[in-house]
Order: sequence, then structure tokens, then C-alpha cells
Amino acid sequence: MAVPVVFVIEMDLQAFKQKVLPVQGRLFRVAKLFLRNREEAEDTLQEVLMKLWTKRQQLDTYQSVEALAVQMTRNLCLDKLKSHANRTTEDNADLTAVQAAGVSPYQQTELSDTASVLRRIIGELPEPQKLVLHLRDVEEYSFEEIEEVTGLTVNNIRVILSRARQRVRDSYLKTNDYEAGY
Amino acid sequence: MKQDIEKLLEKYYAGESSLDEEKQLRDFFRGPSVPAHLESQAGPFRYYAETRAEQPSLTVTNQWTDRLGSEGRIRSLMTWSLRIAASVALLAGGFIGGLYYSNRFSDPVNSNETSSALAIKKVLEFDQSTQTSASERIQAVNQSYELPEANQDITQLLINTLNFDDNVNVRLAACQALTRLSDEAGVREALIQSLKIQTDPYLQIMLIETLVSIQEKRAIDEMQRLARNRQILEAVRLKAEEGLNRLTQTQNRSAS
Repeated sequence: MAVPVVFVIEMDLQAFKQKVLPVQGRLFRVAKLFLRNREEAEDTLQEVLMKLWTKRQQLDTYQSVEALAVQMTRNLCLDKLKSHANRTTEDNADLTAVQAAGVSPYQQTELSDTASVLRRIIGELPEPQKLVLHLRDVEEYSFEEIEEVTGLTVNNIRVILSRARQRVRDSYLKTNDYEAGY
Repeated sequence: MKQDIEKLLEKYYAGESSLDEEKQLRDFFRGPSVPAHLESQAGPFRYYAETRAEQPSLTVTNQWTDRLGSEGRIRSLMTWSLRIAASVALLAGGFIGGLYYSNRFSDPVNSNETSSALAIKKVLEFDQSTQTSASERIQAVNQSYELPEANQDITQLLINTLNFDDNVNVRLAACQALTRLSDEAGVREALIQSLKIQTDPYLQIMLIETLVSIQEKRAIDEMQRLARNRQILEAVRLKAEEGLNRLTQTQNRSAS
């Protein structure tokens, strides 16, 4: 009788260790995609892991724990951004100040380099485009996996992805041309 | 190669490239041989590949793995006590349920026993062949001799025993008992049928002898099959041949 009891507990722990912990990096990157800040992304990752830990007994009932985790991360980020936006509209005047404060001197010097240009371009994409592009081109998800996370149909995903890629290309070329002095 | 890349890029921007093709593009743009006119598009591909390598700081991940270890133990202790309690309750429930169940189901059998004692006594024996010993079942079979008159239920039970009892000796006893009842409806057919099913040589021989002694000519076909079957023990084949001869002889004799 004791054997199955131990087994059940081990299953919870194992499910969490095997399905959740290996995707930490991925969840962190998704959080950083939305929040564009390393510390905030790490905080969000912590919160998501905590939530998953408390529901670890139900993890087996989900078809894909990873898709669930990515969904939770996205939702949490969007909530945070919303409350950010509320706060900043309350004191509108500080909007630029808040943004400036979020940028360290190190980041400021970095602003001109390719990576931060692209981070900004991708960050400015509308929501479904941003996540779909990230999941496909950074995380190398299949269309089926993106479907699981976003609930969009594969055809829809292709269209969104195509728009996002073209938009990134165009914005990026524009920035480069601008910098090159055209 | 260059043209391939341009085709791939077209597919890429249309959202129609495969994961493999996209990997090819990333590899190409990170390689040394990017032509000047494509260089302007290289940025995003390099950026995606670099971004994929980003990880949360080790302090965060380690902190979690550590916490997981200790918390896991505490929580599992909590659930331990709960689950042991649950399993004990389950076990007790199982016992009570089992007792209740067996009582409920043994009662009607006992009450039936009073109504037609002798016959149902045997039903009990046969029904629970997994719980009775072979000698008990043989005894039950032999008790059928004491029945004042043939009972169809009992006959059917004997046929079942002949065909399906696990023990050869019980099957042999059933075969003997049935020989006595060979005038009953269905018994002869059952014996012929059984000859097709049985694989035990003792039973095959006994069935052949029985069928010959009751002059059952419909068994000729089956005996011919046995006599021809090379996979069957020689003694059985000889017996089948002998049986065949005797059955056909009497057939001829009665015909002439």
C-alpha cells in the first residue's frame, strides 16, 4: 500500500522537474519579450514557476505543460503591462521619465547596436505578431505548438507571421537607411 | 546557393518556410559568405539566434531548484499523512465491502439449496470449480448416479464438466457418468462434439470407446479425422481406427 503513495508524490515532483524546469529559459525569454527588462522578466518567471508548482498535481491533465506555462507567462506579462500603463496614465507627465529611468547607462550606449534596434522593433509589434514571431523565429516552435499556445489556427498563424516578418524587415531596413544617412 | 537563399527568403517572408529552411537561413546569415546585397537583411536572423541563447541568471534558477528540494520534502510529508489515512480508509472500505458482497451473494444459493437440495448441491460444486478440489468435483459427478431420474440441468452440467473442467480425472468421471445417460437428449451429440475438442489422449480414447459401445455411427467422420491426424498420439490413432472398424462392421452387418 505504501509503494503507490510514494509513487504519486514522486510523480508530482517528477512532472514538475521534467516538464517545467527545462523550459525556464524559454519562459524567461517570453517574459523578456513583453517586459523588455531582465529583472522584471526574472520576477515573472518566478511567479509563473510558483503558480505551476502549486498546481503540479494537475499538470498531468494538461496536454502540453509547456504550452500552459508559456500561456501563463504571456498573460502575467500582459497584466503587468496593463497595470504599468494605468500607473503611467495616472501621472502622465512622468511617462518619459519612467522610461528613461528604466534604461541604465550601459543599456543607453547599447541602444544604437543592432540587437537593441531589433528589440525595440519587435517590442513595438502588436501582440499576436510579437508572440508568434518570437515563438517561431527564436524558440523554433512548430505551427502546431504555436497553435497550442495561442489558440490561433495554423492559417492564421502563417498570415500573422508573414506580416510580422515583413514588418521587422521593413522597420529594420528603414532604421539602417536612416543611420546610413539616406 | 545565392538563388536558393533568395527563394528561401521569399518563402520566409510569406510565412511558408519550414523550420528546416528557417534554420538554413539563420545558419547562412551567421556564416562568412553573406553577399553584400543581402547583408542588410542579416540583422534579424542573427538577432533571433542570439536571443535564443539568453537565459535567466543562475541565481534565479538555482534558487528554484534548491527550494524545490526542501519544499518537496515538507509537502510530501504533509501529503504522506493524508494519503496514508486515505489508504487505510480505502483498505477498510474494501474489507467491509467485500464482506457485504460475499454475504449478499452466498445467501440466495443457500436458500435455493433447501428447495431442491440434491441437484443444487451439485450446481454449487460445478459453479465454483475454482474453489473446489478435483476430488470434490469427482464426488459430485459420481453423485449424479444416485439421482432417481435423469435431470436435464445435471446432464448439461456434466457435459460442461466434460468439456471445460481443468482436471483430466474430473473430465474422465464426467465422461463415464454421461455414458450412462447416453439415452438422454443431446448427450450423444455432446460426446461427438467433445471428441473434436479434447486433446488429452486418455479422454480421446475413452470417448472413442464410449461412442463405439453406444454404437454412435455419427462419430465415424470424427474418428476418421483422428485416425489420419499425424499429430495425435499413436495409441489414440490406433484406437480410432479400431473404433472405426467396429462401427463400420456393425454398419455392414446390419445392412446385410
